Amino acid sequence: MATTMITTLDRSSRAAARGLSDISIRNLFIIPTVLFLIVFNIFPLIYSLGYSFTDFRASTNAPANFVGLQNYRDLLNDPYVWSNFAITAKYVIISVAGQLLVGFGMAMLLNRDIPLKGLLTTLLLLPMMLSMAVVGLFWKLLYDPSWGVINYALGLGNFEWLANPKMALYAVALTDIWMWSPFVMLLSLAGLSAVPKHLYEAAAIDRAGPFYTFFRITLPLVAPILMIAVIFRTMEAFKTFDLAYILTTQPTAELISIRLYKMAFQEWQTGRSCALAYIVLIMVLAITNIYVKYLNKVKER
Amino acid sequence: MRKLVTSVLAGIGLTLACGTSVYAQEKSLTIFWAEWDPANYLQELGNEYEKETGVKITVETTPWSDFQTKAFTEFNAHGDAYDMVVGDSQWLGAGSTGGHYVDLTDFFNKHKVGDVMAPATVKYYAEYPGGSSKYWAIPLEGDAVGWSYRKDWFEDPKEKEAFKAKYGYDLDVPKDFKALRDIAEFFYRPDQKKYGIAIYTDNSYDAMAMGFENALFSYGGELGDYSTYKVDGFINSDKAVAALDAYKELYKFTPPGWAKSFFVEDNQAITENLAAMSMNYFAFFPSLINEASNPNAKNTGFFANPPGPNGDQFAALGGQGISIVSYSQKQDEAIKFLEWFIKDETQKKWAALGGYTCSAAVLKSPEFQNATPYNKAFYETMFKVKDFWAVPEYAELLQQLNQRVYPYMIGGEGTAKETLDALAADWNATFKKYGRGQ
Amino acid sequence: MAAVRTSSEIAFNRVAIVAVLVATVIFLAPIYWIASTAFKPRNLATTIPPTVVFQPEISPFVKLFTKRSQLRTPPSPEEYAAAPWWERVVFDGGEKIVRDGKGQVQWSGYPSRFMNSLIIAITSTVLAVGMGTFTAYGFSRFKVKGEADLLFFILSTRMLPPVVVAIPMFLMYRAVGLNDSHVGLIILYTAFNLSFSVWLMKGFMDEIPKEYEEAALVDGYTRMEAFFKIVLPEAATGIAATAVFCFITAWNEYAFALIMTNRRAQTAPPFIPSQVGSGLPDWTVIAAGTFLFLLPVAIFTFLLRNHLLRGMSFGAIRK
Repeated sequence: MATTMITTLDRSSRAAARGLSDISIRNLFIIPTVLFLIVFNIFPLIYSLGYSFTDFRASTNAPANFVGLQNYRDLLNDPYVWSNFAITAKYVIISVAGQLLVGFGMAMLLNRDIPLKGLLTTLLLLPMMLSMAVVGLFWKLLYDPSWGVINYALGLGNFEWLANPKMALYAVALTDIWMWSPFVMLLSLAGLSAVPKHLYEAAAIDRAGPFYTFFRITLPLVAPILMIAVIFRTMEAFKTFDLAYILTTQPTAELISIRLYKMAFQEWQTGRSCALAYIVLIMVLAITNIYVKYLNKVKER
Repeated sequence: MRKLVTSVLAGIGLTLACGTSVYAQEKSLTIFWAEWDPANYLQELGNEYEKETGVKITVETTPWSDFQTKAFTEFNAHGDAYDMVVGDSQWLGAGSTGGHYVDLTDFFNKHKVGDVMAPATVKYYAEYPGGSSKYWAIPLEGDAVGWSYRKDWFEDPKEKEAFKAKYGYDLDVPKDFKALRDIAEFFYRPDQKKYGIAIYTDNSYDAMAMGFENALFSYGGELGDYSTYKVDGFINSDKAVAALDAYKELYKFTPPGWAKSFFVEDNQAITENLAAMSMNYFAFFPSLINEASNPNAKNTGFFANPPGPNGDQFAALGGQGISIVSYSQKQDEAIKFLEWFIKDETQKKWAALGGYTCSAAVLKSPEFQNATPYNKAFYETMFKVKDFWAVPEYAELLQQLNQRVYPYMIGGEGTAKETLDALAADWNATFKKYGRGQ
Repeated sequence: MAAVRTSSEIAFNRVAIVAVLVATVIFLAPIYWIASTAFKPRNLATTIPPTVVFQPEISPFVKLFTKRSQLRTPPSPEEYAAAPWWERVVFDGGEKIVRDGKGQVQWSGYPSRFMNSLIIAITSTVLAVGMGTFTAYGFSRFKVKGEADLLFFILSTRMLPPVVVAIPMFLMYRAVGLNDSHVGLIILYTAFNLSFSVWLMKGFMDEIPKEYEEAALVDGYTRMEAFFKIVLPEAATGIAATAVFCFITAWNEYAFALIMTNRRAQTAPPFIPSQVGSGLPDWTVIAAGTFLFLLPVAIFTFLLRNHLLRGMSFGAIRK
């Protein structure tokens, strides 16, 4: 770690002599956290990297045999795994696009003087604070074809949300949209309120139409913050496990995390699942990298 | 700083203390089973044991859909949360070869358990590998798939007349799979919110497999040859293909949303007036004969799985044996409990509480057979049961079956022949991987 | 919006307000539905048309907390009359309460899971926020070589999918016997929340003017004293907000709990979906368990409303 630093403490002062030096304080404050994260987050990953080259199964007492890249080769040739990735991609696109539309739309509606605006916003934020697992559970009741409230309210009769293989993924995405649109709304509201008022006034004086104002003023200024919402949600949607796992067992809605869970903890193909975990890990890190870049960009503004 | 560190440490210490003290009972045994009524009956039986010996018995449960996953996660974690587990018959292979179960062969021979329990239950719930005379469990709960039906719908004279006019024979408890299908079709009336039949379709564990097996075995099909592990020509035989088609045909007549159904949904089909007939394990029938939980209790009847076109009549085996977990710290206590459990009077008590005893003597007794409207059907069925693979890699075989059959059943992808050919290939590859057969 | 208001804009404004109200109702309806189902008698939970007006009952909560078994025959009138009200409620549903060998009522698994959730969420929050505050101060006040990379590293540990981390952790915990233990889950949640807490607290720390400490240093405080006496009190709001976020994350976590715990240290999220009932599903009991579980989070959301934006964006966006 660093050896250069700026200190505001005069080295010859009484206080400096009495207390710890700034370098030791900095090290004392930072190193334990970094070590903790290395031991509990990075070390396990190195451990599993090793297993990903073996045929190890945690369910037997047989020793692990080194198989080289066999696991990776098998996985990349497994049509089921590919279809899991395709399903995940589809899910991410549907749910993030839905959240963007609904969330940004609501933010546009809310971005005016409304009585009890603070209370309404807080109430709208409730869904995203809830447990995904428990939300999945009670949406099952709402989706029930025979006595679900959704079918009754929309007059859909016995429409099958989760039982129909073609519909199940959309149903999971719909629940995700319900949960996370408020998040996009919250970020959009922050973006919208930061748009300088005089720009709108100037546009009004120029008799600019609402479309012009929206596409030339509002959208470009809110875009960076919306981008954050999109990347963050993409990352989270890519990792989705609880919601889909609880809502449905349809093979057409088997996201990559569910496949990974099944491979690791139901079929106990430990070595193989470590390899799949690594493939997923690299993808997540790539998205995280983009995300952090954007975070820093927005921060600089 | 020091204060903060001390308080954090104190917090952790307190948590540890809480965590351990709650469970540090003087003498107690924990049994793990799935969430269903028999587990409650076992708890009540355990209470008797506590009264006699002072050892507290706790039955912990989890739903069927994740029973296997949780049990094996615990086994593979080498955890001692459970002293005994009432595990499915298919687990014997994995439980014994994986070192999770304590070998009970000596116990079996010493107490002559083979003479106490009915032969089919010893064969399926206790012995692995088949014919080896090595035992890993004590048969605890016998079970098989049966059917419940709506007597009032079946006995309605108008319905009887209309049925006879349409199908040319009398509406009655189905005498074969064709009648089962006809009756399901006959009562399938979505406009009246009435449907024909409720079957198992859940693919998260073995529900759909068990449902399909009922058709498969009664059609004279087999999963494969249990001794040579040959599956080609068995699971994809003409009989098996016809059985899968028959099972898929029944799906057409199920209530809406019937794509992830298991015992809960199937019982509900009867209580909520959804279906004329409903497949279920016998152990789930108690809630159907109680008016507080089933408004149609008086009008609910029961029958055994009907024969197929060639007169073969079989049913998918349910039920479990109780095994001692090898990671348990209290194996000696557990042995004492099992010694108590196999006593005749305990088995009588077990049956009286509602458990499906495997004790041959109790099963044959008239008290048992007349205790409920379905006990007789149960007794008859227990002689016609067949089971899934019990090899250690059975979970993979089951997953492959779900992966192949579910899209065909529910999504209508491909044909029955293609589905089962693909499944045969999957199973062949799996058996090859583990060096079986050949 | 525009300073000059035309009548069409005013009309649009009204439409927008109505739309917002309708959207709020739609968004809250699922939560209302689960809350109201928690107070319904069992037979009204699955009716068509859905039952909106009913006499609220607390029987679902009685069932939630007790271990029950199906009755095959109704209880005798004497037995029924002798039973306390909460037992009668269970009899009415065609079940009985399971008692142990000493005749004591047996609790269901719910209370112990709820307690586990509390113990694990609170302890891991204290640890994560405690460590996170120190580290954030370190990053905020001192120059650290490769700071951006370190911070990225810290954040990326939070972004890992739980199942990816769970596979090696499962094996490591098996080796040291930490599976299904409170400590095991606390460590996992602390690691998970620590990165979040560092990022969020760094934002709060950056906002506290350096001059405060500098003045204190000139007055003869050591750096440590300045940190504890000047910076920490200033950061109190930030610490509280971070703590609530960490608590909610740990409280809601499902995947780790599903994989790493089984009975002793199992938390509520993997447990609640497993309460499907033994013969027939009882949605009122599931709803009651869900309702109690969601309540703390709902309250915290209100307390936290001014910090939500910041928390959800890892401290990047401030209001």
